Amino acid sequence: MDENEVLKELKTRLGDAVIEAEVPRKRRIFVKVKVESFRESARFLVKELGFKHISTITGVDLGDSIELIYHLAYQGSIELSLKVDLPKREPKISTITDLIPGATLYEREVHDLLGVVFEGHPDLSPLLLPEKWPKGIHPLRKEYSLESIRKTLFKG
Amino acid sequence: MIKVPFGPQHPALKEPENFTFEIDGDIVVAVKPRIGYNHRGIEKAFEQRTYIQNLYLAERICGICSDAHTTCYTQAVESLLGVEAPPRARYIRVIVAELERIHSHSLWLGIAAHEIGFDTLFLYYWRDREVVMDLLESISGNRVHYAMNTIGGVRRDISPEKVSMIKKGLDFLEERMKRYIEMMKTDQTVLKRTEGVGVLKRRDAIDLCAVGPTLRASGVKNDVRADDPYAAYDEIPFNVVTHDGGDVLSRILVRCEEILESIEITRYALDHMPKGMTRVRVPMAVPPGETVSRVEAPRGELIHYAKSNGTARPERYKVRSPTLGNIPALCKMLIGCHVADIPIILAGIDPCFACMDRMTFIDLSNGDEWVWTMQELRRRYRND
Repeated sequence: MDENEVLKELKTRLGDAVIEAEVPRKRRIFVKVKVESFRESARFLVKELGFKHISTITGVDLGDSIELIYHLAYQGSIELSLKVDLPKREPKISTITDLIPGATLYEREVHDLLGVVFEGHPDLSPLLLPEKWPKGIHPLRKEYSLESIRKTLFKG
Repeated sequence: MIKVPFGPQHPALKEPENFTFEIDGDIVVAVKPRIGYNHRGIEKAFEQRTYIQNLYLAERICGICSDAHTTCYTQAVESLLGVEAPPRARYIRVIVAELERIHSHSLWLGIAAHEIGFDTLFLYYWRDREVVMDLLESISGNRVHYAMNTIGGVRRDISPEKVSMIKKGLDFLEERMKRYIEMMKTDQTVLKRTEGVGVLKRRDAIDLCAVGPTLRASGVKNDVRADDPYAAYDEIPFNVVTHDGGDVLSRILVRCEEILESIEITRYALDHMPKGMTRVRVPMAVPPGETVSRVEAPRGELIHYAKSNGTARPERYKVRSPTLGNIPALCKMLIGCHVADIPIILAGIDPCFACMDRMTFIDLSNGDEWVWTMQELRRRYRND
């Protein structure tokens, strides 16, 4: 399977759920899906198309929403970036650790740094931030500058 | 059943990280990793710096595989700019990357020997590693942060005199490594501490998304250099080394044989380096866009994601180093092991915690450099 065949499969199977899709170069695919179809898209990619390896999850603060990008690999070769937008006020999404157990730390990292809740994740305790880190401060969100984080930390 | 904390300060860890083991008698039944002690805020820092400044930052994500990070970074920025490094530069990137792999694997082999109590071997490995360190220094001027890569190519050429010098060094390393492989396969001290220890089954390695030599030692033939070639790897013939044991011995043999492959790759690249320039001029402005860049670092798949917004600084920069990818697999292989085997199994994935964690606070706002004093640190961590 090459990148164009994967894209074709995805479009046929997921139909309207695909919002954006492009192949910028060989072995790279970017696909954005609707949030309500995310679970089915992930399952289809992992279980049926064989994107069994997750390289990482990137969270991007887009202002009003948080974009999650799941970087999935097919036989180590094609790197597909599956994107989904979550509302910033209450960013919640279903975990994929049941589909790919290797995603567990990546979800925790995004939870720490961007405050996304992964529903059904077995353990969302802090991974990178200290135990006593103030609640609700997610340092990779754009509204937190280094200056503002420093002020909060030193107010006591 | 008792809980034993392991780290953040522990003689078997070269960097601070914490693992909590639940122990039944002498057997580990559960592991909980707690990382973040080295988190330096690098992803946030990337957003505050220009693309050129970030080159220096990328170099400093890791002190062992610095070249892998800059290769990944420059590839990402080159892809955003729509430029490509010239052919000679792509070969030089391969040469430095493979010499770095030899140095990194030799360093690890030494540490592994130390963890099984074989310090004579540790010193032999590290003595030989000096040969490759000298080669890297003669090419780049530095032992660790080579600063070879730049956006659009490489900063230094390799002269014909250097080529013959490198080849001489490689001949020596090859002869030594062949001898070590024979020894590792037959020496009782090595075999008793590594054979069947810390087993990771093929199925688990795939499910837990292990990467690099850890994955290949469980019999999975995945290597970014072969599967998703970058630099000049699509023009160079090489083998992807795998072993089926899934134990520490297999991890040792994979890395030993990879050193031999790296020697071959470097020789080929030195002989087939095309003539021409080593860098192209690139435009200053980076247009909006996004890209995913991958590299096979010595420890495995390294991935960077970059999003640009048309300004001089990236909108978002994401780094995932191979060690983080191997932590779930590491926890799996530790379960059921003896307490005495914890250090060698931990060392078995060749963990590099500085790359894995990427954030704390060395302040960069206003361009001022600012570091927490000991007093502030105490206040922060005790009273909050």
